Amino acid sequence: MIYLDNAATSFPKPSEVYGEMDEFFRERAANPGRAGYRLSTEAEKGIEMTRKALAGLFGASEPQRLVFTLNATDAINMAIKGLLNPGDHVITTTLEHNAVTRPLNSLERQGVITVTRVRPSPQGFLDPGDIKRAITHKTRLVALVHASNVLGTVQPIGDVGRLARERDLLFLVDAAQSAGLWPVNVEEQCIDLLAFTGHKSLFGPPGTGGLYVGGRVELRPWREGGTGVDSQNPVQPEDMPFRLEGGTPNFVGLAGLKAGVEFVSRTGTDKIRRHGQALTSQLLHALGDDTRFTLYGPPPEAEVGGGPATSPILSLNIRGMEPQVVGTILDESFGIAVRSGLHCAPGTHKEIGSFPQGTVRISPGFFNTGDDIAQVALALKEIASSTAVSSRQ
Amino acid sequence: MKTERYLRQILFHPIGKEGQRRLAESSAVVVGCGAIGSTTASLLVRSGIGYLRVIDRDVLEESNLQRQELFDEEDLREGLPKALAAEKRLRRINSAIRVEGIAADLNPTNAETLLRDAQVILDGTDNFETRLLLNDYALKTGTPWIYSACLGSQALLMDILPGKTLCLRCLVDSVPLPGSLPTCETAGILAPAAKLIASIQTTEALKILTNHPEALISGLVNIDLWKGSFQKVDTQTAPSPTCPACQKGEYEFLNAKGFSLTTTLCGSNAVQITPGGNAENGAKIDLVALSLRLQSALGVDNISQSPYLLKFRLKGREMVIFPDGRALLFGTQDTSLARTLYSQYVGL
Repeated sequence: MIYLDNAATSFPKPSEVYGEMDEFFRERAANPGRAGYRLSTEAEKGIEMTRKALAGLFGASEPQRLVFTLNATDAINMAIKGLLNPGDHVITTTLEHNAVTRPLNSLERQGVITVTRVRPSPQGFLDPGDIKRAITHKTRLVALVHASNVLGTVQPIGDVGRLARERDLLFLVDAAQSAGLWPVNVEEQCIDLLAFTGHKSLFGPPGTGGLYVGGRVELRPWREGGTGVDSQNPVQPEDMPFRLEGGTPNFVGLAGLKAGVEFVSRTGTDKIRRHGQALTSQLLHALGDDTRFTLYGPPPEAEVGGGPATSPILSLNIRGMEPQVVGTILDESFGIAVRSGLHCAPGTHKEIGSFPQGTVRISPGFFNTGDDIAQVALALKEIASSTAVSSRQ
Repeated sequence: MKTERYLRQILFHPIGKEGQRRLAESSAVVVGCGAIGSTTASLLVRSGIGYLRVIDRDVLEESNLQRQELFDEEDLREGLPKALAAEKRLRRINSAIRVEGIAADLNPTNAETLLRDAQVILDGTDNFETRLLLNDYALKTGTPWIYSACLGSQALLMDILPGKTLCLRCLVDSVPLPGSLPTCETAGILAPAAKLIASIQTTEALKILTNHPEALISGLVNIDLWKGSFQKVDTQTAPSPTCPACQKGEYEFLNAKGFSLTTTLCGSNAVQITPGGNAENGAKIDLVALSLRLQSALGVDNISQSPYLLKFRLKGREMVIFPDGRALLFGTQDTSLARTLYSQYVGL
């Protein structure tokens, strides 16, 4: 089986992730911070090491402001619902994943907030000037996806962050697709809220993720409960990370995430990203001249900051075939796993003209090879030649 | 209990007053209200059963009227789910009976709720997968059930008594490969054959509910009304020692492992059906043979093929079947409709 759905979740993981989780779960998985015995302290130490490793990766000088969540969706909900007040205005884009779109839509429909949705260029890039023009005196938050999960296009978060900071707005970045793949620095890029997931390019297991909450932000906790500290306090403690981390954390998953983050740091985000980009580029060149295919997103030569401006994601369609049919044939007849449909980002498909059927999304990962891509290109061409003909012979 | 109404049945000696009293306190569930299910439901309600639940996921269609006796043209105009139309009709037949029509697709998630309290389960389904689900539930709870099936002019029936007889899984290893067998939609069905087997099914249920196990038919009943052949096959009546369901207690259909998965697709207005079991074995459907069977039902112009798939248009929708049995139904997000059309035209 050739797995090319790494934008959904990276698979396989580096072997040390499996090893660390297995060893941790068997040998050291006592409840952290709930007792003073040695195992418990070790478990807590494990979590703090993960926190520290991630804070280091994202350039956050205060690790305790990085809280663990179930995934990016959980982190984004925590940010949006813990921050916004009646009357606030939010600027976001039509490229967002439903993790951002739905919480904002729901607050908007309840009449709590107003929202402006900025549109990207036809290639899928955002102009920070458009965000600037959307600012009103009620604007509180700019919520922006770093890398599109449909097109792979990467947005200039540093420029938007500095703009938001100048205008005293808060800046939320959805780094679900970019954490581990692109440099993210909360201080240099003026990010107030950074939401990420553990199971994609950080190579951790599902059920891990986090939210970095910058010093300018105070969030209402939406999950309150046991923290293992300050138990006499009748309400959630003020101190971070406890303020936002009620309940027993997924410490086994976080042990795996630490091994994943260490793999990323050791290998280097640039190397990981360039490997994936080279594979996407190989596929683009293999299919680019073939008029039977519609390829979405920028051409391979599009650049930002001297390098390709896209993550290793390629969305395409075969003319005259539903993407779900193409995806099923790839799986059924060729043993190739890709994702078909809207990828939870309907707004993006409306922008690129692939709504409502969606696209076939091919997302290579660090463990894919050029041979995998050659095989998927061949399979796609064969499928494109196989248009169904009437049974009347 | 009003005896006048049931006098002729009470006069039938093996039932008598005692049997009639037992019947009035008993409950049954009919799964699938088609040709067999609707006749069985009607006969049971007339017989004076205490409680009857009828489960069916479909909406009435014109082609059902040829053989499904609970429904008429007015029901068709109303466009009600068959379960609800059946409930209305059954109450008119006998208002003293507690009748409940449930418009739902029986699956591993709801089976234990929808089949609860049945003293006997009557098979009116059109697919093997649901029968294996009934079989699992019956074994797990010790509930007798009566397998019945009808295709063309042939009808089959077997009483399955957990702990006493063999079970359906003893006879079949798994669900037949999708698309490998004819269905009523592709091979047709003769109404009298369905009614005959429903009559036998109801009689068997009456024997169970009035406590006459000695009178039950043992073995498989195999009738072909057109050929005029009436057989009872006694070859095997004891459970198979290797049966995973009745001997090992592995209820693969009730626990969802062996059952098909039907999901609404992200994006397109479409549903995906993934049959259980067979794909893992690497079994493949003969798409050419399936195409030939579908041609008589749907017309050749509605069918197209490529090496990777078979497509057909059906009631304003399009179904795409892949060799491992997976299918996409475009034009709906209704998962139970997708299961219906799949079991009708491909076969589960």
